[in-house]
Amino acid sequence: MLEQKILGIKTEALERIRSVKDDAGLFEFEKKYLGRKSELTGILKGLKDLSQEDRKKIGELANAVKMEISEALEGKKRELKNAGFDFESERIDVTIPSKANGYGHPHILSIVQREIEDIFTAMGFEIADGPEIEQEFYNFDALNVAKDHPARDMQDTFWLKPEIQNPKSKIQNKSENILLRTHTSPVQVRYMEKHKPPFKIIVPGRAFRNEATDATHEHTLHQFEALVVGDGVNVGNFKYIAETFFTKFFGKKLEIRLRPSYFPFVEPGFEFDISCTVCGGRGCPSCKHTGWLEVGGAGMVNQNVFVSAGYKRNAYQGFAWGFGLERLAMMKYKIDDIRLIESGDLRFIRQF
Amino acid sequence: MKYSYNWLKELSGTKLSPEKLRGLLTLRSFEVEGLEEIGQELEGVVIGKILEITKHPNADKLQLTKVDVGKTVLDIVCGAKNIAVGQKVPVATVGTKMPSGLEIKAAEIRGEKSSGMLCAKDELGLGEDHAGIFILDKDAKIGMGLAKFLKLDDVIFNIDILPNRAHDCLGYVGVAYEITAIENREFDYDYSGLELPKVKSKKLKVEVADKELCSRYVGAVMENVEVKESPFWIQSRLAASGIRPINNIVDATNLVMLELGQPLHAFDAARVIGGRIVVRRAKKGEQIAMLDGTGKILSQENLVIADTEKPLAVAGVMGGLDSGIDPRTKTIILESANFNAVSVRKTRVGLGLKTDASDRFEKDIDPNLAEKAMVRVIEIIEHIAGGKLEGIVDIYPKKVKPWKIKLDLEYANKLLGENIPFKKSVLILKSLGMDISGKDGELVVEVPTFRVDIKTQEDLIEEIGRIFGYENIKSQPMVTPLVSAKVNKERFFERNVKNILAGLRFDEVYNYSFYGQKDANDCALGEIKHLELANPMNPGQQLMRVSLIPNILKNVRDNLRNFKSFNIFESGRVYWPNGGILPEERKIIAMAVILEQDKSAETFFAAKSAASDLSGKLGIKDVYFDNFDAAPSDSLLGLWHPGRSAEIKVEGMDGKIGYIGEINPLILTLFKINRRVAMVELDLEKLMEAADVEVEFEAIRKYPTVLRDISILAGREIMVDGIMKNIKKSGAGLVVDVSLFDIFRKEEKNSFAFHIELGAVDRTLESAEIDAVMAEIITGLEKELGAEIRK
Repeated sequence: MLEQKILGIKTEALERIRSVKDDAGLFEFEKKYLGRKSELTGILKGLKDLSQEDRKKIGELANAVKMEISEALEGKKRELKNAGFDFESERIDVTIPSKANGYGHPHILSIVQREIEDIFTAMGFEIADGPEIEQEFYNFDALNVAKDHPARDMQDTFWLKPEIQNPKSKIQNKSENILLRTHTSPVQVRYMEKHKPPFKIIVPGRAFRNEATDATHEHTLHQFEALVVGDGVNVGNFKYIAETFFTKFFGKKLEIRLRPSYFPFVEPGFEFDISCTVCGGRGCPSCKHTGWLEVGGAGMVNQNVFVSAGYKRNAYQGFAWGFGLERLAMMKYKIDDIRLIESGDLRFIRQF
Repeated sequence: MKYSYNWLKELSGTKLSPEKLRGLLTLRSFEVEGLEEIGQELEGVVIGKILEITKHPNADKLQLTKVDVGKTVLDIVCGAKNIAVGQKVPVATVGTKMPSGLEIKAAEIRGEKSSGMLCAKDELGLGEDHAGIFILDKDAKIGMGLAKFLKLDDVIFNIDILPNRAHDCLGYVGVAYEITAIENREFDYDYSGLELPKVKSKKLKVEVADKELCSRYVGAVMENVEVKESPFWIQSRLAASGIRPINNIVDATNLVMLELGQPLHAFDAARVIGGRIVVRRAKKGEQIAMLDGTGKILSQENLVIADTEKPLAVAGVMGGLDSGIDPRTKTIILESANFNAVSVRKTRVGLGLKTDASDRFEKDIDPNLAEKAMVRVIEIIEHIAGGKLEGIVDIYPKKVKPWKIKLDLEYANKLLGENIPFKKSVLILKSLGMDISGKDGELVVEVPTFRVDIKTQEDLIEEIGRIFGYENIKSQPMVTPLVSAKVNKERFFERNVKNILAGLRFDEVYNYSFYGQKDANDCALGEIKHLELANPMNPGQQLMRVSLIPNILKNVRDNLRNFKSFNIFESGRVYWPNGGILPEERKIIAMAVILEQDKSAETFFAAKSAASDLSGKLGIKDVYFDNFDAAPSDSLLGLWHPGRSAEIKVEGMDGKIGYIGEINPLILTLFKINRRVAMVELDLEKLMEAADVEVEFEAIRKYPTVLRDISILAGREIMVDGIMKNIKKSGAGLVVDVSLFDIFRKEEKNSFAFHIELGAVDRTLESAEIDAVMAEIITGLEKELGAEIRK
């Protein structure tokens, strides 16, 4: 009986709220259905006179209905309020340019270097560092470059004038020649002198070549070197790592091609190409219609280099691998003049 | 080097097309940089046989011919006198475009039909000879293309021979070895059959005074040679490899050089005084006129070939003008020698002469080649110049013999990462001219002496790997222990700094690591001892930088042409001499701020904000800016504006972590920069040390704070930092924050206005308590700083 009544109130209230059109109506409605003198409030007040069983049952129902009516009222209030807001009068032209806060641009080589570092560190490589001004020993001798190798000429390498030695220094008579490292490879030997295999390292860094600059040549370069040494490290492993790296770096499946080459610090030595990132290997102007892009040099570490670093001959196997950041950046972003990279020109820097 | 496909084909017997061969050579041996087809321009010129010659009815100087060109017989009018019935001649048929551009058309010449042209050599672009029609060999096939007959249709391979293979592959035989090995065949060339005849020369004496620099000297005398033009096939072979034909003797030496990679030289025996060749170092100041017409002054570094009186040639580089072959030469002395590679290189660099001979000698060739080449050149000269060998001298004190290397094929497969059958590996080595003994993969390999590059087991493994084909080696994941890589903290930190600076609107530049003395002087760094390059590109790049600022100022100057205001930074190394083996390299972060307008040091304070934000983001709490402690050792001081610069320090750390300031305006003038430039220079390592702090949570205040403002007048020597510190000190722990909101100069004093935020962690402050603290603060300012409180 009482239940019927409550449900009746609900039906009536929910029906009535639909026709409310203004604040006065809202007030009337609230007073009638939720007010102190409303029927529902009366029922709730009278609960105490019911049996315990009924009190629970009726109480729950009445409260639920009260809640439902309140929500309907709130909903109506929001509806009436929103309806009064004139959005149209606030319309703006969203195409008006905004004043940008601006942001800085990391250098393109920093960007490329990060991408490379991230890919390699995800594969468990450690990042190693070494000096940019090097001893002839680490740059050449320790890497199995013969004493009379043309690379040591003045035309290819920047040499430093002997420093005026500190008279108190013990090594003042040491006639060690100093140069600007021509590659990041000296770090191989420096690292191996202090660490035992197995290890996987990468060495990003600046290197210098004494050659005239033009659109494709720079005397200041940034190289990337990878060195993996362990028990059975082999050519197949190198191919795998190289494929993985380039596929991630260029974001598409790439093939690696090894060609015979010669670098004194590796044997066997390779030149490695990747399938053309522009045409995918079918042949296009970017790859001079060969389907391949030449990327860098690599090879299995020459046992003489292990010996220079203090390892026993034939105790380990490893591969070393190097390439230029500039070249990768130029390939990835289709830059046609290497000199822009160290020009400091913001019109260039801000493009990346 | 350029290689003729026809010649390579003849030597190696390859049946591969040029394109196929190119692909395989690139993958297995050397990169073939280009293919160039030649001989195409003579398309349409065929071999014809003259059947009939009659007089032209209307012209005395012309003749009518009937020429059989295979498919048909042509009527051709010809003016040359050297033709005869039965001769084979080149016929340019109708439609042929001649090298001169002339197109052959059917025509009537003085009323007689002519459908083609009989050609002279010059008309075919085959020389300068216009003496008459080019008469071909009797056995030339009628109707065949001339280019094909003369082997002019060739493909030139431009092969980039690797430096460690120059000693054998700057000769066709070396490349032919590669080709046969690639095709799994053994090379069929009678290499060991090339032995010197045992005829000792009676007319030539050879003395090798410096056996270090000349390990072998083979001399031969040939008499009664007739110096003339070489046969056409020799000329075209030389031309295909980019060598200009000279005369038959010189051409023969060059041909053998191309074939075997051994440079040779021919002297006119009549010009060799005393019939004696002396191989010695040049005397200081000795002079020689070279074959190319230049004069050279020699030094003791240079090895020369001399007679009893004077140098005849610079050994291994170039012959002299006086002793060269000329048309009157009758007796020649041939030289096939081995000169020290380093010495040849130094000499040719020193004299500025680079020749085909020096290119080969400086790559350290096999002394046994000298013999082979001599046998070949004698053979050829006898054939083409009619000469006769008088005798030979061979000085070869330390004979080089084939050497042996142990090779473990298990190891080879382990290094290559592929299971190459042992039989296959043995075959590969044999095809490259090695002798193999041993079994079960434990081999002893005897290396032929021309493979100077093969010294170790790994060298042999490379031969197996490349001929097997690197593309046949499968890529395979590495199996390594899973260890977390050590983090390179400094790199990681540097990257973080760069990220923060990008967020602070700084663009990153990379500059060279050097600058010039003028830059150093302009930046007041001229007195500093820099490391210096012994061989800079130019004087502007001679000094190794001790500061990033000079090059950044150039960036500022250049970018001001395009931008009104900008922020840039560089992260790079500076190099300080320190008396050690290697200089000290320090990583520096240098930031520059340039604003469009600066009325009251906005540029400086923008830089200061950036420095504060950077250190704040790095977690460095107590950064402060201190007056320059102008120690005389501080050699970089001159860069900065003396009144607008400071050291950047961190509470609790010794010394400074960097500098901040405006660049000295006098320096900016030298760089033609008409703006203020404020810079921050931070030492990365010290910055990292300062940032190595643990952040500890501080409870969020539960009780309200109150703001009080205070205005004071203080002497101009009183700095804001001092006032704020004083306020905090007097505040009995209740000063939460002090901030400056106004400052202006008032007569000889400065007026400052501060907000002071007061509060306690455990209670709401009573107003009496607040008044008491403010009174303490005021007293402190008055007594300790002599400040006057403005009401």
